[in-house]
Amino acid sequence: MRTHGIFFLILAAATCGFWETPAQAATTRWEDSIVTLDVARKDYDFRQPWNTRTRSTTKTGVVVGEHEILTTADELFDRTLVRIQKGGGGEWWAGQVAWIDYHANLAVITADSNAFWQGLRPVQFGSATKDKNWRIARWRQGNLEVRQAEFTVFAVRLAELSDVNYVTLGCDSDIQGLRGGEPILANNHCVGLVTSQSGRSCVATPASMIEFILKARRANTYHGLGYFHWIWQPAVNTDSLRRFQLTGPPRGVIVIDVPARRDGVEQVVKPGDVILQVAGFDVDTVGNYRDPEFGLIMLENLSTRKRCAGDEVPLKILRDGKELEVSYRLPKYEYNLSLVPAARYDREPEFFSVGGLVFQPLDREFLETWGADWQKNAPMRLSYYHGQPVTERPALVVLSQVLPDPYNTGYQEQRYLVVDKVNGTLISRVQQIQEALKHPVNGFHIIEYMRGDSLQRMVLRAGAVESEATERTLKRYGIPQAFRFTPDSAQ
Amino acid sequence: MLAAGGAFCGAAPPELSVIQILNFSQQPAWDAPWRFEPVQRSMGSGFVIKGKRIMTNAHVVSWARQILVRRYQDPRPYVAQVEFISHECDLAVLTVEDPDFFDNLPALEFGDLPKVRSTVVTYGYPAGGEEISYTRGVVSRIERQTYAHTALRQFLAVQTDAAINPGNSGGPVIQEDHVVGVAFQGLQGLENSGFFIPPPVISHFLSDILDGKVDGVPRIGIQVASMLNPAYRAWLKLPDNHLGVRIDRVLPFCEEEALKEEDVIFRIGSFPVATDGTILFEGNRVAAGLAFQLAQASESVPVQVWRDGQELNLTVPTRACDKDAAAGFQYDVLPRYFIHGGLVFTPLSLNYLRAVGVDPADPSRRELVYELRFRPSEDPANARSEPIVLAAVLPHRVNANWTMAGRALVDQINGVRIDKLDDVIRAFEGNREPYDSVEFIPNHSLECIAREGLAEANAEIMKDYGIPNDRRL
Repeated sequence: MRTHGIFFLILAAATCGFWETPAQAATTRWEDSIVTLDVARKDYDFRQPWNTRTRSTTKTGVVVGEHEILTTADELFDRTLVRIQKGGGGEWWAGQVAWIDYHANLAVITADSNAFWQGLRPVQFGSATKDKNWRIARWRQGNLEVRQAEFTVFAVRLAELSDVNYVTLGCDSDIQGLRGGEPILANNHCVGLVTSQSGRSCVATPASMIEFILKARRANTYHGLGYFHWIWQPAVNTDSLRRFQLTGPPRGVIVIDVPARRDGVEQVVKPGDVILQVAGFDVDTVGNYRDPEFGLIMLENLSTRKRCAGDEVPLKILRDGKELEVSYRLPKYEYNLSLVPAARYDREPEFFSVGGLVFQPLDREFLETWGADWQKNAPMRLSYYHGQPVTERPALVVLSQVLPDPYNTGYQEQRYLVVDKVNGTLISRVQQIQEALKHPVNGFHIIEYMRGDSLQRMVLRAGAVESEATERTLKRYGIPQAFRFTPDSAQ
Repeated sequence: MLAAGGAFCGAAPPELSVIQILNFSQQPAWDAPWRFEPVQRSMGSGFVIKGKRIMTNAHVVSWARQILVRRYQDPRPYVAQVEFISHECDLAVLTVEDPDFFDNLPALEFGDLPKVRSTVVTYGYPAGGEEISYTRGVVSRIERQTYAHTALRQFLAVQTDAAINPGNSGGPVIQEDHVVGVAFQGLQGLENSGFFIPPPVISHFLSDILDGKVDGVPRIGIQVASMLNPAYRAWLKLPDNHLGVRIDRVLPFCEEEALKEEDVIFRIGSFPVATDGTILFEGNRVAAGLAFQLAQASESVPVQVWRDGQELNLTVPTRACDKDAAAGFQYDVLPRYFIHGGLVFTPLSLNYLRAVGVDPADPSRRELVYELRFRPSEDPANARSEPIVLAAVLPHRVNANWTMAGRALVDQINGVRIDKLDDVIRAFEGNREPYDSVEFIPNHSLECIAREGLAEANAEIMKDYGIPNDRRL
């Protein structure tokens, strides 16, 4: 009878999403794997990059190995303190980030104290299948909260913290306020780790990808995520396939652009190639392949499926009417592939202030100061650079504001101008402005901006009057320092 | 004082000369350019001027199929025609077929630019009313404003708190029995205010049409910057005369060879130019560009500049320029197009973007907006004289596999760079390969269509969709 009673309680909790306390629940493997993480980090103000606030987030992790807790990398950047708590309450233990990969949005946390690890044991990973009843679990207010999750979709999409595409699990759940790292459980196995939530919709990284990365990391063979450095389009238009001399049934996608690789490796794929197979999988005309685990998903996933940067991917392509087999070495994803870098984690924002003129890198963080809808709300002349390829100029610097001072009279209302040259030197990094200002032209600084519908050129006095103005504006506007550069900012 | 009147010298109330205008207009469908939208009925106002003409706004009579005019308290409609129209100035003059229409209608006289804080009265037929309406207000300010009809250019405009509502457009603004403006637009978010076109713009238009055609307002292709910063003044060795605005940039269209970048303009005509880029015009500080707009196209304007450390007196020829007309709203000109295998190609224009509901802030349509508004001035080397879009695809078996739905900017067709609509025709008609291939911007996305059977298909498509011709060039 007692056994039946316990069984009944568990069933009710699982189906209705009630709270499940440790005292009521039968001991499971995964319950002893879930921990709570509390992260304090710096939150930079990219409109006033010298200002920093503190932000705190509570999220979840799962024990995955000896002295290893896995969670998402989100909110762990620019951290100042990581604390860990087990069992939903009691002591907080100091944690350290043993490994973090923002591209894959994964991190491994550890703690020095042996006492912390007592009673914890690694979660078992399992394969995600559509027909399972999924649950999402976390500690909340001393209780283990377990909610049902209903599978929605396997989809290849952009990662949370990078522009790498890989497969994700989609599910709907009544659980609220997920912060990342919560395990999705099926049959007492962890099938994924939640990375984001919007309303009832949750997105998670699948266990198979996590397992591969963790295993490669332990074997020292993980070199970061790779990606396909080309642009393809669907080949639903069979006239286009015939134009490229494909015979037989329609299949494959058409490569339309192949930018030069940053790692110097020669591109084996060319515009006009039809990609027929990737890693042995046939590619259909919309760019999908049939994955053994996830079914029909986009071919981009084959750049991360059991592979990392530097690995070779066999391709079968159609070129000039002939089928070729080539091997494609996956380049490592980098944040600065685009003219507007996607992110700069664990680095304080750069800036340079001279005579009240404030210069900053034109990066995604700066654009995101216009809000989540920044692609619509940011000035078109700035957002247009987003997604533009890097050419001879690897990055851009923007005059973000002018702090009014007699020195900059007439320029006070100028802002959001992209810098072209300073005293004749081409500018792509903030620190280059400081260097260029050491070489004034006949006692003046000539600052030229990219063509736009605003000002194209400024002239300012060099020398003592410039230094005095810089000092004056820093003091008046409460700016603690005239500049901040990160180590590679002058590259 | 302008002498536009003359036929009437008495003290008859102005309302006698205020005309109600009814416009039955029909615009083309810019995304299906062979087709026309339903006929629209709109009402506006006008007033009698010298020469048995009615003055009104261009936007009151644009795209007219039939214009009817009615006199004060006279129910009879008379048929009118547009004699001259300036869309950039939003002004037009009409004639009436029946000469009796003007019997006993005094022509209104024009006055001077009204003073700020002085009182004016607007006359017109707002909100579709049958009776004339009067509203009194004060001149709030006088400065250059964007004229919303084309949304492309700025001219002098007067702001008043006299109510100017739809239907008032084209009506006279009266001060001491003289016309001191033509009511024309409001501004969203600005309550209890409206704008009217002042006498300098009106008189420019009336002088322009004296030779029987509209040449337009001169345009000097320069972008200027203030010279308020003492360092820049010292760099250019400028005299301490508190004058001058610097030419920051000579625009790649409407090139003006007489003026150069880094020239500092001291004086335009008789107007000294202040360091903030303004001139004092009849007691009002307004942007210096006005000084060029007072000239007629092809007239020369004396300009005093500072160049290479010395003062120069130049004679700058002026001309009208409409090379960027597509970036503003266009009227009374039917869109050009070419149809090939059900693929409809047309020039990119602001009218097209509005017709298909493209939000300029929509990042997915950024290329269209950039190509239209920014590339001509920012990247003239790669700018196209007439960017072409695939406007629509008319479904037919020959294009059954085509996936690009439209609203896409064309880069190349059969390897030919597409700079204008003529290139589209040349690229298709010159192809001897079995497939036509079209590349789009950005990323060179590509679509192909088999040429076999295309000629027959074109004829079927014209018939199926009721298209009179496969092209309008």
